[in-house]
Amino acid sequence: MAAPVPVLRLPKGPDPNSRGFDPSSPRFIALCRTSIPTSAAPEADAEELQREQQVRSELRENFLWCLHAMTNKKVQFHMHEKVKVEATFGASDIDVLNFQVSDLQTPIGVQKEALIRSQDVISLSFDM
Amino acid sequence: MQCGWSLLGPLEWVHYVNKQVKVKAGNGEELRGWLFTVDPVSASLVLVDFRQNGGSLVQVVLGHAVEEVQILQKADKESAAYLCTLFKPSKNCRLDPEELRRKKRSIQNWLEKNQIPVVAEGAELRVAGVLTIRAPYRPEDCCSSNQIILDRIQRLMQNQPDHPGPPPETEPGLIPASTALTS
Repeated sequence: MAAPVPVLRLPKGPDPNSRGFDPSSPRFIALCRTSIPTSAAPEADAEELQREQQVRSELRENFLWCLHAMTNKKVQFHMHEKVKVEATFGASDIDVLNFQVSDLQTPIGVQKEALIRSQDVISLSFDM
Repeated sequence: MQCGWSLLGPLEWVHYVNKQVKVKAGNGEELRGWLFTVDPVSASLVLVDFRQNGGSLVQVVLGHAVEEVQILQKADKESAAYLCTLFKPSKNCRLDPEELRRKKRSIQNWLEKNQIPVVAEGAELRVAGVLTIRAPYRPEDCCSSNQIILDRIQRLMQNQPDHPGPPPETEPGLIPASTALTS
């Protein structure tokens, strides 16, 4: 594996959180919904809601197991404009908005630690 | 750019689980695989592709990038069962009752040696009133709603001498008895 090289950081924008991570920035609010709302409409009866919640928690639990299996594995991120980068997966945040990775291989060097925004990722793949 | 997929909801998504699906994604990518799960928070799909050599390729398509999902075929019982076990730890308990009792006693002794309050409740061990250890008493068999205690007890179990489990990922060492549990 290539030795990490220092990567030049791009200059910061006008405000301190210009990279899109600030939850109160207009960009963040427009692009990143914190979670998908439930279908709790007034006409949905309690039984259906309960069933929905049960399915929701099963689906989420399985997804968390998948994230757990990804930890410390080499993962390929397929991003916009057919950009592919590889990194060692660390963790995801609770809303699957950011991924923490290590040894991110980029065209301009290896970034030892990085945060990748999920909005920038189309898909990711790894071997099991 | 969110199409209808993200808005379908769990009761619709679950119909796609355990089926082979074709997903059209944002950048013109088309992915195929057996759908393991859909994350209800981000509507992301987890697809599994079984390889010839026995390994699997797992692809996660982020919900915001999904344009279209098409069902190709239903999974047979074997594939569905395999999907289930691929990610989750095996629940197989190959130890006989005597071996289990010995293991339970061993874990209980180790915890007591480290000044951790533990009582046996039937086949389970109850630690400090907040954590439960079920058979076969491996670190992954601990259940607790307290994140900190769960982490400490799991590390402690991994550090037990002559413990056949996997080595701990970070530096090992006995947790000093005085700080074993946060108050």
